[in-house]
Amino acid sequence: MRTLLGTTIPIGMALTLCLTASCERKAQTQVFTIGMSQCNLGEPWRVQMNADVKTAADKRPNIKMVFKDAQNDTLKQRAHVEEFVSAGVDLIIISPKEAAPLTEPVAKAVQAGIPVIVLDRRVLGAKYTCFIGADNKLIGREAGKWIVKKLGGKGKVVELKGLMTSTPGQDRHTGFRAGIEGSEIEVIFEADMKWLEPDARKEMESALARYDQIDLVYAHNDPGAHGAYLAAKAAGREKDIMFVGIDALPHEGVMYAKQGILDATLQYPTGGAEAIDVALKILNGEEVPKEITLGSRIFTTENVEAGGESIGSGP
Amino acid sequence: MSGELKSIPSLSPAHEAWWREALRNPIFTAAVAFGLVLVLGLIFSGDGAFYKWGTHRDALRQASVYGILACGMTVVIITAGIDLSVGSVLALVAVSFSILSIHWGWSPWLAIPACLAVGTACGAVTGGIIARFAIQPFIVTLSMMVFARGMAKYVSGGMKVSTAVQGADGTYSYVDVPGIFRLIDSRLLGENLSVVSLIFLACVVVSWIGLSRLRWGRYVYAIGGNEAAARLSGVPVGVMKVAAYGLAGLFAAVAGICQAAQEQQGDPETGMAYELSAIAIVVIGGTNLMGGRGGIGLTLLGTLIIGYIEKILSINAVAEANRLMLTGAIIVAAVLIQRRRV
Repeated sequence: MRTLLGTTIPIGMALTLCLTASCERKAQTQVFTIGMSQCNLGEPWRVQMNADVKTAADKRPNIKMVFKDAQNDTLKQRAHVEEFVSAGVDLIIISPKEAAPLTEPVAKAVQAGIPVIVLDRRVLGAKYTCFIGADNKLIGREAGKWIVKKLGGKGKVVELKGLMTSTPGQDRHTGFRAGIEGSEIEVIFEADMKWLEPDARKEMESALARYDQIDLVYAHNDPGAHGAYLAAKAAGREKDIMFVGIDALPHEGVMYAKQGILDATLQYPTGGAEAIDVALKILNGEEVPKEITLGSRIFTTENVEAGGESIGSGP
Repeated sequence: MSGELKSIPSLSPAHEAWWREALRNPIFTAAVAFGLVLVLGLIFSGDGAFYKWGTHRDALRQASVYGILACGMTVVIITAGIDLSVGSVLALVAVSFSILSIHWGWSPWLAIPACLAVGTACGAVTGGIIARFAIQPFIVTLSMMVFARGMAKYVSGGMKVSTAVQGADGTYSYVDVPGIFRLIDSRLLGENLSVVSLIFLACVVVSWIGLSRLRWGRYVYAIGGNEAAARLSGVPVGVMKVAAYGLAGLFAAVAGICQAAQEQQGDPETGMAYELSAIAIVVIGGTNLMGGRGGIGLTLLGTLIIGYIEKILSINAVAEANRLMLTGAIIVAAVLIQRRRV
């Protein structure tokens, strides 16, 4: 055991050193360093956001990215911002975990003359350079409208909600309810599946046991819709039910739509590529808007091969 | 018993003795607790959903992964230990199994033994450290919980390992769900019993044989009852601990394979806090957290109690906040019913 630990620790340390070193290397002239603090790389959507930032940054030789992962810890993320300031980066991109505790660190960075782009979740007040985010209410409403159209204005729907203590969960819920308002769509069963596929499957099994007729499942994320599909499939009822999810990650929701598992999925854009565009504009001294609301795309079984269709775009 | 309703029927001495004896039997009290949960289901039946067999089949399927973890947890707890790592080991195995089966196309005959070996190794390492350095199981298994979660994220690259395979040019193509995944997630006996439930029952039988029929089991109880005495009487305490935690790791691996098959993917975030459910199941069943007492039959009943509570709340579409409060209250009630009368 001792030898095992004895070798693992040095290897781990060496790895960490290599990783840090490769990030800090190639300091050329006229290169902008951008620090990116991600609140939690445990979620695939945030992994995708980092990947989008990286892809966009890699296309520009004059940008050097430093990525940090706060592992869902607000104080860690606060430390990231402070570290970026003392390291003297040229610009900070932050996708904050929480608004209140990160407002002041962001404001201090701006005060120190470092522009800050806030991605996806907000900070309080206006002491940041630019906010880029998508609108969950709008996405929920578009989902509702599409469902009304698809079902011909009436039907029985199961709503599998994301964590209802989270803003995206609340917005995808209220937006959807606004979207189906005035139609004869009836939500017969709703449950909080906490964004988790196994939980969605459990709740859907209960819905299937209770109701003989279900026309459509609206889940607040694609794994939820997939879990519902698996439950319906096990009951032999997947052909009678339509499934709609949100997020449309390329390897998840979009793939499910291609396979015919989901009838539709609505993209929740990461804004990663847009963040790099805006960052370059700021660094070149150009004016940028204070708020950028990202548009969304809907991918359905019919249009997924063609790359989906843009909905409710722009502010 | 007299049939008079106005007076409280008094028990005959023979009946009273029988009841006292029965209440001292933990299996009996656990069965009573489970019976009460079933009564709840009969009352709050979710528009009659509780009266359909499918609901019960699904309740058993949903509880199975927790139940499999609880089998290993029972053995560890009887040695007066605890294993907090099983949820993370489950995730590590779910991810590994998905990579091997979906992306590398390994035959299940290779992939399953490899994954079981990974889980067993995780358990054996924690057991070895606990035995060799005499560190508290809580802290060693806590470390393994963090480490294995990290490993799960490392081998999966932080992404869910699904049937979407990324090519060299960054585009995704998708492959079929491997047959073994479909097999584990299918049903037997005319669609009436899920395969994962059968796997759970097999784990129960294996643990039961180990604990009640083999010398191995007597050693486990002896260590939990009094470790020093067990050591003095020649029980190989160290080896037994490696074996107990190794078994918990093995069951965590079995659970991980079942989890991956049911999700059709390996999610490095899966199994979060499952160790707590497994511990709750063991304790509700009536196995003593102080070690030395308990059994796998109790854990089977504990699994059913937890599984049915979840199912009954779910078919009634109880809101999340109420669900958590009710679960807490029902668990305490079940434990109180289970309280051992001296």
